[in-house]
Amino acid sequence: MPAFQDLNQAAGLIIPEIILIATVCIMFLAAPFLVSETGKASAGLRHRWGVLTSLSLLCALWAWLKAPLDVAAIGPFQPDEFAWYIRGMTLIAGLLLTLILWDQTEDSIAAESFACLLAILAGVNFVALSNDLVGIFLGLEMVSIPTYILLYLGRQDWMSREATIKYFLLSIFSSAFVLFGLSWVFGLTGTTNLSLLTQRAVSAQPGFEHAMLSAALIMILAGLSFRLTAVPFHYYAPDVFQGVAPSSSAMLSFLPKVVGFVALLQVFPACMGVTKLAAWSPADSTRFLVSLIAIITMTFGNVMALRQKNVLRLLAWSSISHGGYMLVGFAVASSFGATIPDAASGLAALMFYLPVYGIMSIGVFALLSAAGTRQKPIRSLEDLHGLSQTHPATALMLSVCVFGLSGLPPTGGFLAKLNLFVAAWSENTEMSRTLAMTLALNAVIAAAYYLRIIGVMYFEKSRTVVDAEPRSTSVLAGAICSIATVMVFLKPQWLWDAAAAAVGLMMS
Amino acid sequence: MSEELLYPLLWLIPVAPLASAIVTALLGPKVLKYRSHLPCWSALAVSFLSSLVLLYSLPSVDSQANKPEIWRAGEDATAQAEQPAGEAATAQPESTDGGSAASGESEESRLAAAVAALKAKSDAEPKVGPEIVAFGFEWLHVGKLEVPFELRVDSISAIMLSMVTGVSLLVAMFGSGYMHHDAGYPRFFAAVSMFVFSMCMLVMANSFVLLFVFWEMVGLCSYLLIGFWFHKPSAAAASKKAFVVNRIGDFGLIMAIFLIWTSFGSVSFSDVLGNPATIARLHSVAPSLMPAICFCLFLGAMGKSAQFPLQVWLPDAMEGPTPVSALIHAATMVTAGIYLVARCTPLFEYAPLVQLTVTGTGAITAALAALIALTQTDLKRVLAYSTVSQLGFMFMALGCGAAGAELVTPAVTAGMFHLFTHAFFKALLFLAAGSVMHAMGDVIDMRRFSGLKRALPITHWTFLVGAAALAGVPLLAGFWSKDEILAVLIAAAKTSQYGLFFGIVLVIASLTALLTAFYTFRAYFMTFCGPEKFPEEAGHHPHEATPIMAWPLRILAVSALLIGLAVGPTHLFAGYLQRTTGLTPVEGHFHLDVMALSVFIATTGIGLAWMLYVAMPTVPAKIATVLKPFYALSQGKFFLDEILLVLVVFPLRAIAWLSTLFDRLVIDGLIDGVARVPRTLSDRLKGLQGGPVTAYAGVMWIGMVAAVVLAMTLL
Repeated sequence: MPAFQDLNQAAGLIIPEIILIATVCIMFLAAPFLVSETGKASAGLRHRWGVLTSLSLLCALWAWLKAPLDVAAIGPFQPDEFAWYIRGMTLIAGLLLTLILWDQTEDSIAAESFACLLAILAGVNFVALSNDLVGIFLGLEMVSIPTYILLYLGRQDWMSREATIKYFLLSIFSSAFVLFGLSWVFGLTGTTNLSLLTQRAVSAQPGFEHAMLSAALIMILAGLSFRLTAVPFHYYAPDVFQGVAPSSSAMLSFLPKVVGFVALLQVFPACMGVTKLAAWSPADSTRFLVSLIAIITMTFGNVMALRQKNVLRLLAWSSISHGGYMLVGFAVASSFGATIPDAASGLAALMFYLPVYGIMSIGVFALLSAAGTRQKPIRSLEDLHGLSQTHPATALMLSVCVFGLSGLPPTGGFLAKLNLFVAAWSENTEMSRTLAMTLALNAVIAAAYYLRIIGVMYFEKSRTVVDAEPRSTSVLAGAICSIATVMVFLKPQWLWDAAAAAVGLMMS
Repeated sequence: MSEELLYPLLWLIPVAPLASAIVTALLGPKVLKYRSHLPCWSALAVSFLSSLVLLYSLPSVDSQANKPEIWRAGEDATAQAEQPAGEAATAQPESTDGGSAASGESEESRLAAAVAALKAKSDAEPKVGPEIVAFGFEWLHVGKLEVPFELRVDSISAIMLSMVTGVSLLVAMFGSGYMHHDAGYPRFFAAVSMFVFSMCMLVMANSFVLLFVFWEMVGLCSYLLIGFWFHKPSAAAASKKAFVVNRIGDFGLIMAIFLIWTSFGSVSFSDVLGNPATIARLHSVAPSLMPAICFCLFLGAMGKSAQFPLQVWLPDAMEGPTPVSALIHAATMVTAGIYLVARCTPLFEYAPLVQLTVTGTGAITAALAALIALTQTDLKRVLAYSTVSQLGFMFMALGCGAAGAELVTPAVTAGMFHLFTHAFFKALLFLAAGSVMHAMGDVIDMRRFSGLKRALPITHWTFLVGAAALAGVPLLAGFWSKDEILAVLIAAAKTSQYGLFFGIVLVIASLTALLTAFYTFRAYFMTFCGPEKFPEEAGHHPHEATPIMAWPLRILAVSALLIGLAVGPTHLFAGYLQRTTGLTPVEGHFHLDVMALSVFIATTGIGLAWMLYVAMPTVPAKIATVLKPFYALSQGKFFLDEILLVLVVFPLRAIAWLSTLFDRLVIDGLIDGVARVPRTLSDRLKGLQGGPVTAYAGVMWIGMVAAVVLAMTLL
């Protein structure tokens, strides 16, 4: 039975994801029986689900460490080093997000919330693993659909609902772009398998076929830009970040960006007939477009953030500008590619930036949610006034993460920006130097509003007496993130090596 | 001391304050409380002693014969680094040729002269002074960029280290008396320890990247300490201003680092600064490279060292506790810019125009700040402007290398010497001012007190010593260093090439020195002479400094008295400093003519101040009414804050405002317009309250179409 064998073999490559999905199934099936018909659940139920989720994630992490790399696989899944890196990153981010969600969620909806989170994580991994356009699209939807539910579950007031519906409609719309682009690619090459696609793309006729292919790629880029919060596909971000619960914002600020870049890096090289990520860089027209989007995105994001009074909106704009920084890495890519193997690669810088941004951003949201209470969550900058007096440890950790976001030493954020800068600068073209300069200038602008967050925490009198509601797991997540932010600065080499290996660059 | 023993010592210098910072931050508020000064004191004492040992034993380190293993490895790396650097440089000529051809003949002749100078230089032996490089760990390895975590001590950093740790120790001692029973006592010592750690690392960094990291860290500590009394809105605003203005300079510094990296293929000091031949070759291939690098470096230095037009943050930084002003904003952090420019002398030698800019900026800053200091009534602000002015003096000296290769070393020596002596007497002046403030119940307005001579005898005599040293009274610290600066300016003015320029700068410098003597003693006379008067905040009996505050004052006063005499005319300082890599030892000279000039300047200035503020105390008011516009100009600080507000802050705010407006009117308008189409078709989504979602989708659609069209047209 060759079909069964194939299936068996393919399943062997995705054990971590199978663990996650199995947990999701258990949770969705069992949860309704533990909640009464009126929607009441026994107190403390969320702790049980939290433990189960963490266990599942830890098992997945263990399986991930043990899982073999199979670069030559041509079946539906290809667990190469790129996928390995992304999987590790999502699973660890998943653990941190679980910790935040633990505090935020209510007993009655805990199972669904955790299950959605796990499904999203599995979806990100599938996009990275997939060796097929259909698989990639399914993975993307596996991220989107649970996200809608998770956002809706988070907080049940009208703001949250409106934000969720906005996100839902626009996300579907952007998925349509992606699907449309993917269908063009299929139409032109006659296959959805990435390995085959690569071969066919090499033999694509210059002229019409090339033009069609790049048009298709631009559509995919436009669709995925929604997830990267690139201008002009960013509109939903401030509204949604403001509307949904901090745990959801933490997830939204990071995982969509990851899955967006992963999908881009899966589809673009294949459609240009390049097998190795390390040897790929965007075509000139695409590069110009991406650079333009990057410049507009980071500048617009930062300038808009300057005027925000609502801290969640501010972080949304900050997240947009970070999307712009990351696009710099994508635009520069590996323009040296195979010629100089140890050259600074934009893709490696991007791969380094993603997890560093992830820990900083998740840390900020974790600590914001820890500083607020359910009745009075942190919304405006004024809510943060004098946080250093009421919650000194939280304020300190929050400052570390915010410092990281602004790209100042001694944090990993500094090195992440430095790497992007080095990559852009060393490419030595006018466009890349412009990118590098814009990046540096934006880091200067951004310092002003990040500093304001720290300023109000330390240099303002506390106005409200916040009754402490224990949010131990959020604080734990925040502590891990802030320590990691500093540790990455001190010991960055292993992460850099892993990032470089992920895009196929072997470091000496 | 054998070299092996020096390595742990090297690490001990930054690690001790770091440990103290961590201990104080963790245990301070709960356990140590008002004993928080103990870890800080002991750590700084350890660092100071280590620095002294290092200072003493460094000259005996023979870096040529007895290089440690790592240093050898560094050399190999240099050899390798030259390869790609050469390639990078050869890729440049097309662009640079066009540039130099356009700038005409004078440029060509200058180039020829420069090339000739280069030849002479590359023939000479690489100038390597005694230095110790301690390898920590592999920190960064990104593409071709390799940055190990390394400490490096050579002559210039050994001097800086002992100065930094010594002054910090005294300031920390003073601080424990000054901050007595402040609620933030542990926080103060944690931040000070952290600052000393960062500052030590800054001067010990062996690469530009590491230097940048700690450059930012000292900025951060300065931010935390300026805003120490955050309940004062002015303090919070000042700390933010300091940070943001510094970021502008940091932008220049990071640009410089990347230019250095792309052209040299390395960011380590040993590779970049230790190979005159490489610099010469790079310069001959791309003549505009070194000026660009140096200009960016100088931009960074301008921010940190508060040079015009980025000087606006320093006077406001006086909102911090006075010991902080003494330590960070007078003696140590603000001199980091001078250190950077002095350290990069081998690069600046190839950028005479930038050196002229350095001198020019220094002259403008020095004169401007001195003019502003004339009319300030806040004692600390007078000192702050005087710091800005003195930093200008140092930059004035540093740029003199433009006049000729033989002046490079004296120029750097003069600048660094002034930095060294200034640290002592300016810290002394600030601490004495702090003591006055302490006694006067935090009143610092000189119009509200006078005649403190009898009430505060120790403060009085120590302040007098500091003021005399600053004014340049013969045989005191400031006299010797200011002398050196004037001497090197005179030497530069005598050269043919830029004689006129340096002549003008010399005149400015002399006038500024005169103003310095005047405003320093104006402050002295206003505070300590005249009828005895106390503000009501002081209570009936103003209390003299407690012993823990008095002893640092005494020690600093003795230093201000003697340190110039001890290391200036004996050529000790210059001889030591000039063994730094990149400098050529030169003979010391006595400049009797210059000394006569300085004596004249100092006595005139002090005499004028005496006449106006002691002999005829009614005259200054009359002068003020006669010269009202000028007086207003000086008192209004030349309205530089306001000008900056109009030129920089308003446009930026306008951009932010315009973006919001654009977002609101144009984009939202567009969105509304787009939204109207589906809305007329369907009313289903009307329930949504905020931004119209169909419109967002519409803009996304337009964005996609635009992207596709753009990509197609570019194809």
